[in-house]
Amino acid sequence: MKPSLASLYESVELIQPIKPLIIGERCNANGSKRFREALLADDYDTCLTIAREQEAVGAHVIDLCTAYAGRDEMKDMETLIPTYASSLKPPLMIDSTTPAVIERALQIYPGRCIINSVNLEDGGVNIYKVLKLVKQYGAAVVALTIDEKGMAMTAKDKLAVAKRIHAIAVDEMGLRPQDILFDPLTFTIGAGDETLRDAAIQTMDAIRGIKKELPGCLTMLGLSNISFGLSAASRKILNAVFLHEALEAGLDSCIIDAAKMMPLASIPEEDREICMDLLYDRVKDPEKSPLLTFIDHFSNAADTGDKEEEQKWKPIEAQLYDKVVTGNKDDLEDVLDMLLQRRSPLGIINDILVPGMRHVGELFGKGEILLPFVLQSAEVMKMAVRYLEPLMEKSDESDKLKILLATVQGDVHDIGKNLVDIILSNNGYKVYNIGIKVPAETVIQKAREYDVDIIGLSGLLVKSAMVMSESMPQYEEAGLNVPIFLGGAALTRKFVAQSCVPGYASPVVYNLVAFDALKKVRDFEAGTLKATEWSAPTDSKEVKPGLKDAAVSRDNPVPRAPFLGDRIVTDIDLEEVLSLINKQALFRGRWGYRRGKMTSGEYQDLIRTKVEPLYEDFRHQFLNEGLIDAKAAYGYFACESRENNLVMNHDGKEFDFAFPRQGEAPFLCLSDYYKNASEGGDVAGLFVVTIGEEVSKRTAQLYEADEYHDYLMLHAFSVEVTDALAEYWHKRMRQELGIASTEPENIHGYVTQQYQGSRYGFGYPSCPDISAQGLVFEMLKPERIGISLTENYEMVPEQSTSALVAHHPQAKYFAV
Amino acid sequence: MKYICINCGYIYDPAQGDPMGEIPPGTAFEDLPDTWVCPLCYSTKDLFDPVD
Repeated sequence: MKPSLASLYESVELIQPIKPLIIGERCNANGSKRFREALLADDYDTCLTIAREQEAVGAHVIDLCTAYAGRDEMKDMETLIPTYASSLKPPLMIDSTTPAVIERALQIYPGRCIINSVNLEDGGVNIYKVLKLVKQYGAAVVALTIDEKGMAMTAKDKLAVAKRIHAIAVDEMGLRPQDILFDPLTFTIGAGDETLRDAAIQTMDAIRGIKKELPGCLTMLGLSNISFGLSAASRKILNAVFLHEALEAGLDSCIIDAAKMMPLASIPEEDREICMDLLYDRVKDPEKSPLLTFIDHFSNAADTGDKEEEQKWKPIEAQLYDKVVTGNKDDLEDVLDMLLQRRSPLGIINDILVPGMRHVGELFGKGEILLPFVLQSAEVMKMAVRYLEPLMEKSDESDKLKILLATVQGDVHDIGKNLVDIILSNNGYKVYNIGIKVPAETVIQKAREYDVDIIGLSGLLVKSAMVMSESMPQYEEAGLNVPIFLGGAALTRKFVAQSCVPGYASPVVYNLVAFDALKKVRDFEAGTLKATEWSAPTDSKEVKPGLKDAAVSRDNPVPRAPFLGDRIVTDIDLEEVLSLINKQALFRGRWGYRRGKMTSGEYQDLIRTKVEPLYEDFRHQFLNEGLIDAKAAYGYFACESRENNLVMNHDGKEFDFAFPRQGEAPFLCLSDYYKNASEGGDVAGLFVVTIGEEVSKRTAQLYEADEYHDYLMLHAFSVEVTDALAEYWHKRMRQELGIASTEPENIHGYVTQQYQGSRYGFGYPSCPDISAQGLVFEMLKPERIGISLTENYEMVPEQSTSALVAHHPQAKYFAV
Repeated sequence: MKYICINCGYIYDPAQGDPMGEIPPGTAFEDLPDTWVCPLCYSTKDLFDPVD
């Protein structure tokens, strides 16, 4: 009887009358994106459709692989095998290396299948478990020529491994030779790797050797690997010619995408000849390798569809490098799989991925690419590292530079810290990101525990700058001697140099933007890192913005408040709020689409084709998907100024706000904008607004999922929406006060305060004391709209903001 | 050429200078002192982009 397989419906001969036996390869979670996505979505119908398509284009056997990180391989097999068995005519190939899964598959598959696969990678342990099952259930099995030393590259080694497996399978375990399909492995001759120039020859010689020396055994190949790295159109042609040659050598079956097979007869003689030269490494032109001849010859070949694999010819290393630089995730895992055949996981990271990210950093530094693209590159890096990590020795991490990152005590802002994390960890450094509101004691403890080389502290608030400066002696006293990097909106080079550096002996280094950290880490590695220095420029005195003229007039009329006391409002016109978004700040500042070296025209093109559509997407999402729940708590209060204080009345109680006064002309203090008791008192406004917590949740999910680009974009957009809501609410209060006669005509008018009065956020330059938030909360009770205050006077949810509203015509921003 | 603050959107117009920072009209952005900051949000010069 001829060796055969069987499904419920038919038997299939292993040695086809017209060879080869075709095994459809697309039902593989690792090899097919479409199958993987269907599986991840529990869309078993599509999983079946993909199998049916393979059947329809002539597959004799369907390979099924459900092993994928995060999936339950067993459960997926248990679901799909009965479905496949009852719906498909061709028998199955069970693609798994887990004995328990193989056993279950054999139990529930109603027919004779092939197990894919065994090898000697572990020196011969697992193979016994699997072959015992193969024998017990009467299946066939694929054996790969891999041993303790890795994948066999030469015909001699391939044959030697096959013989060892044969001895175990046939002599020890009692299988028949015809139960075994040897796969002597194919490597690409299309990637320009000199050591692989004769890969096709070695594989075909191995097939001949196996057929001759292990009579009765069958052979199989993953055929299309031969042409990996070449253009899709030329791959089909080379694959077809290689198949023909391999069949001549004795090949019985191949695992392939049946839809992409091409009849040899349809290939012109000249094309065939060039393929043969490449396969047999026949050098006909001393100036040009067979590979280059092949590439030149087929460079004009039109592709017949299949964009997924369309890729201009490049060595695989260069393809991966390009993927990092361009932020392209397509087929990433396929490329990594090919590279893994000749490089270690760590080698791939250190030699290709890290240099790719380094290049991205350089391009960013030169202003040639923008932050959003850097984040897309980091996503590719992260995805690749995730894929490679399980394959790496644990000790691979030990020699990495270790960096501790934290947002300082009292501060919940983590976007800056997380950007630094993304950039550093995806440049090959080990980052310990220990979160927000981290006290100095914890920083010290964790720095010791992880034995870090650098500490990075972040914080957005003015108060955080003070916290950093005050904690420097504490780090010094604790005996820390690693450099400390500081970053955050309220920091300046001068502040770091004058107020932080002196407190700590090792270098304290100012970072203006997230990318500075990467540069400074490199300086550290090069031994050139220095503490931040600042010398006062001699050519001009320091600028402190703000009006320098005239005293604050005292004869302005006090507007009439629509009510005194506090109120909440929950029905807010979102369209109107979004119309006040500061697009310039969003696009250029928060999203990072700066003009840089682009010409005006190039920049306008970028904005029109990329940034505006992104903006419209977000606008649409915010308006229609419940991402924003805008609410306000606000009020008007009778008040009077007392020197540097502003005292407001509410519910029969006095609330005393203290403000600092400038130490130089014009010696302004916020309380100056309000009348004192003898002038008849005044009216002050307060508000707290929020866009709700949904968007914060969504943002956190994106960060967790390593969706760096979308994370930054959404966070930035939500910050600008919050600012727009504050702008909107301030406008509404001006209208209620009857001081809205001269309103701005455009966004720039709002930016430059072309309206009467001003609003002041707590923790900002003219009222730096954030603890005044406690008073605001006592007066407005914003808990009613879902906002609470942390012990450090920060509002939760993050996308909330508060302000004191002044109506005085001279009231504008100033710094103390 | 005018320059825009990428943090807050303030536009520095050389024709107007910056009265808040005591910069006289007619001062090119390139000629502003390194210590000059955005009069509205105090961003430093490197956080400005050219506009036209």
